[in-house]
Amino acid sequence: MAITTHKDLQPLTSTQAQRYAASADRRMRLFNRCCTGVLIAFALLWLVPLAWALDTALKPNGETIDPTWVIENPTLASFRALLAQGDILNWYAASFITSSLAAAGTVITASLAAYALSRMRFRFRLLAFWFILIGIMIPRQVLIVPQFRELGSVDLLNTYWAVILPSIPTAIAVFVFKQFFDGIPKDLDEAARIDGAGFFHTYRRIVMPLARPAVSAVAIFSFVWAWNDLLWPLLALTNPQIMTIPVGLATVQGTYGIRYADTMASAVLGALPLVLVFLLFQRRIVEGIAGTGLKG
Amino acid sequence: MASTEITGPAGTVAPARTEPRTTGRRRSPSGTKRENRLSGHGWPGLLFLAPFLVMYLLFIVGPAVYGLVMSFFHTSMVSPGLGEFAGFGNYAEALSSSDFWSALWQTIWFTILTTPPLIALALVFALLAERARRARWFFRLAFFLPYILPSAVVALIWIWMYTPELGLLSRAVTSLGFAEPDWLGDPDFAMVSLAITTVWWTLGFNFVLYLAGLQEIPRELYEASSIDGAGPWQQIRLITVPLLARTTSLVVVLQVIASLKVFDQMYIMTQGGPNYATRSLLQYVFDVGFTDFRSGAAAAASTLFFVVVLAVSAFWLVMTRRQEPEL
Amino acid sequence: MTGPPLPRSAFTRRDLLKATLLGAVTTAGCSSVGAGLLNTPPGAGTVSYWNLFGGGDGVRMLQMEDGYRKANPHIELRSITLAWGNPYYTKLALATVGDRPPDVAASHLTRMKTLVRANLLQELNPEDLERHGMTADKFAPRAWEAGLVDGKIYAIPIDTHPFVLFYNTKICEQAGLLDAEGNLRPIEGPDAFQDALSKVKQVTGRDGATHAVTSPSSAPWRIFQTLYSQLGGEVLADDGTRIVLDDAKAKQVLDYLRVLTVDKGLMPASVDYQGSIALFASGAAGFHLNGEWEISTFQTAKLPFSMTLVPNIFGGPYAVQADSHTLVLPVRPDQDRAALDRALGFVRSMLDQSLTWAQGGHVPTWQPVATSAAYRELTPQSQYASAAASAVYDPAGWYSGSGSNFETIVGSAVGAVVTGEMSSVDAIAQMRSQLAVLAATASPV
Repeated sequence: MAITTHKDLQPLTSTQAQRYAASADRRMRLFNRCCTGVLIAFALLWLVPLAWALDTALKPNGETIDPTWVIENPTLASFRALLAQGDILNWYAASFITSSLAAAGTVITASLAAYALSRMRFRFRLLAFWFILIGIMIPRQVLIVPQFRELGSVDLLNTYWAVILPSIPTAIAVFVFKQFFDGIPKDLDEAARIDGAGFFHTYRRIVMPLARPAVSAVAIFSFVWAWNDLLWPLLALTNPQIMTIPVGLATVQGTYGIRYADTMASAVLGALPLVLVFLLFQRRIVEGIAGTGLKG
Repeated sequence: MASTEITGPAGTVAPARTEPRTTGRRRSPSGTKRENRLSGHGWPGLLFLAPFLVMYLLFIVGPAVYGLVMSFFHTSMVSPGLGEFAGFGNYAEALSSSDFWSALWQTIWFTILTTPPLIALALVFALLAERARRARWFFRLAFFLPYILPSAVVALIWIWMYTPELGLLSRAVTSLGFAEPDWLGDPDFAMVSLAITTVWWTLGFNFVLYLAGLQEIPRELYEASSIDGAGPWQQIRLITVPLLARTTSLVVVLQVIASLKVFDQMYIMTQGGPNYATRSLLQYVFDVGFTDFRSGAAAAASTLFFVVVLAVSAFWLVMTRRQEPEL
Repeated sequence: MTGPPLPRSAFTRRDLLKATLLGAVTTAGCSSVGAGLLNTPPGAGTVSYWNLFGGGDGVRMLQMEDGYRKANPHIELRSITLAWGNPYYTKLALATVGDRPPDVAASHLTRMKTLVRANLLQELNPEDLERHGMTADKFAPRAWEAGLVDGKIYAIPIDTHPFVLFYNTKICEQAGLLDAEGNLRPIEGPDAFQDALSKVKQVTGRDGATHAVTSPSSAPWRIFQTLYSQLGGEVLADDGTRIVLDDAKAKQVLDYLRVLTVDKGLMPASVDYQGSIALFASGAAGFHLNGEWEISTFQTAKLPFSMTLVPNIFGGPYAVQADSHTLVLPVRPDQDRAALDRALGFVRSMLDQSLTWAQGGHVPTWQPVATSAAYRELTPQSQYASAAASAVYDPAGWYSGSGSNFETIVGSAVGAVVTGEMSSVDAIAQMRSQLAVLAATASPV
């Protein structure tokens, strides 16, 4: 090990060693406390924009031009106005429907495919494997032009399906599932198969329940990606009634003049569902990233 | 109830790149009977693959091929059919167009501005978080929460932060006695502003990757070095950072590719301006394909963009392959 | 280390998700979800309207929409404002290609032509228009004719918005430029304008006039087009496939602008749109060259100002850069007579409220309002109304029009001369070479 070369390794007496260790320990604890302090400062700094958005949203519009943290007349007027206007509820519905269906579609198709790749033998298996692997390389953004024509030709533009369908086939999800399935002892499902269970039964009743962490990772990530996607839904959804939240926020200018409170209220409302998802699934999300390096 | 028994595979933080070589050792130790059952006739396997493959062909491979074909035609967004054959005309046009090169440069400039801070800060924050005994959930919340917010929300918040004279940043800068930059309006500064926003937004992802990487370093190494009298700084320098090399290389490639794909921030915050100073490659594709209606030319630009991303991935693959034996 | 999965909490989470999903769907009502899932067309009896008006225009457009709603309580008006410029036209085109366009959309006259060539707009039948009292003779002839494509009607112009000269009355009075009634005495010729600017500069101690130079990069196009047209110059011909730039005339204009900025320092050489407004509003300059729409900004700032025609600098027939806002009906698969009448009824209602619109500085094209006493009494708006008759629109071409690549190319080159970065000869060469690429590119429409 490289480290040992830096310190002379003369044998120490036990009391010396203890004293040395104790002082090192104290030093270490002090250092750790400093680290925590510095990081707390950074974390607070990181939260400033979010806090500022919330702060602004709770002010009356007229008072936002004086940039102070103090809210003299806290009000929910901006939120109420937005919700009354109704568009944002439509956008919520669009985002919920498209993201949930996209996530469900991804989990089902990818896990089935991964099951086949992990557990079954058939011709073209290796070919299929590499064929899907190539898909990871293709950034979805390069497909927008042909996809627009494709979905236009079957009259699906300006429907939720235009957003849902293309986000279902996610090559990386297949590999996340396959990797997970490969780690499940084969004896379990082989035993079931010998008892006469069909492939689908094994998949459904044995492998999938065991793979719950992978399912939740893929589901959560597909959901969040679909929810946050902008470029493609921006092209596919031009009817303001069925826009998803990001598209709606990015295109529609509902307010005139100095209406920063309204704008920030819409940002807060747009963020809210994902903050909820985050708080509920915090650990799953972090595990998912750590385990797979999933990135949009 | 079986789910509680599988902490093994769930808990291990396996790196994504375990070699897909499972195909090599699929010979089952048991008898031929089971072997036959498992192999079947082939059709169930294809049946399981079918839903994915159909969607995959329809929405990924199909459009990719169609896009490639379109890039050789003067296809228009507003008229049916492929249009006139263009040969390599669209490619020649893109490669000789100053707009394309300037968009490529803006994209690279954005990557240069965002990648180092996103990696260095994430590493530093993760190292600090490792040492913090308490409040881990708080750090995860603070750094990671922005990452899962929609770009539109992030953009709205930061436009407000950057608003001249009224924005929070403007006040912070002027109260420190500096002249306030025109955050999004100055062609030389707009990209820096977008980079700051992006670092704030996406740092959490790298932070979490580093945290996971740190978990994999055996405690004993620290303990042993501690007994040897190594201070914290030496530990970080001589144990932590070298052992994080794998994580770092993963973070770098994911980050570079993500930065190359930048679109949302520019589209919402600056629309590529001022004076095209923040027009990324994807914004260029968008402008050519959907504002100018020139689908063929946009498809060619998309293909060129794909080549750039592929080159980065290939470069990374070669580099890591070369590194691997030494680790 | 990462912990074991918690099956029980997973169930409650799933239930929670289900509940929220259900909640979201039910609260949003069925119409939008129906449209999203089944592609059902919006209900009958509605008019959907897209526009791109922000600022003061946006406020007045809302007033006009409310006026329509009051007059037509049985029709639901769904109006939406989208971000100005290219993104707006992109959205409009995408929506039309995607078969879900609005019933009525606002469009700049100069952008409308590309939409027509792309077959995205409905041709408007004179009989249909007549049913709603809209006949050619009731519109300002210049805007009406400029809006025809191959002699056919595709757009109803609601205004002309020329490039104008704003002047600070207090400063100009001190500079001795006003007549007895407090109006700006006519300025004619390059020297007279330069002289007026110097006099103003002596008063302000800073600048004579301001106009937007650096950003948006298309901004200097307006002043160039105005002066260049006064010399009778044109830039493009044959639908943008041919460049007919007159180098000598272009050089004359550019050299003149350079004298005013770099050489004599009468106008700031490097200033962006907002900056040029701020300088005029703060009294650092006595003149401001811009579109008339900024009138609301200066009224809000309580500035002592008035507006008039941009001087005829080069002495030819008077000409000034302008554009018009028009209302168009995008092509839709399900157009029927009732929907058409609802849409045209809305257009007519907007025209009837032209006086409200004119307060924002725009010169109304709807003659019943334009010739009314009420409009004539509206000052300073009516003082430059004659500019509409001499309006010069952007040349035809698929890459031309308001905020287009064309304006950006010419504007950037002009801007580079004004800031002193480039000589006029180099700027003309740059314009030519960049335009040549677009002129040679097969039109995508």
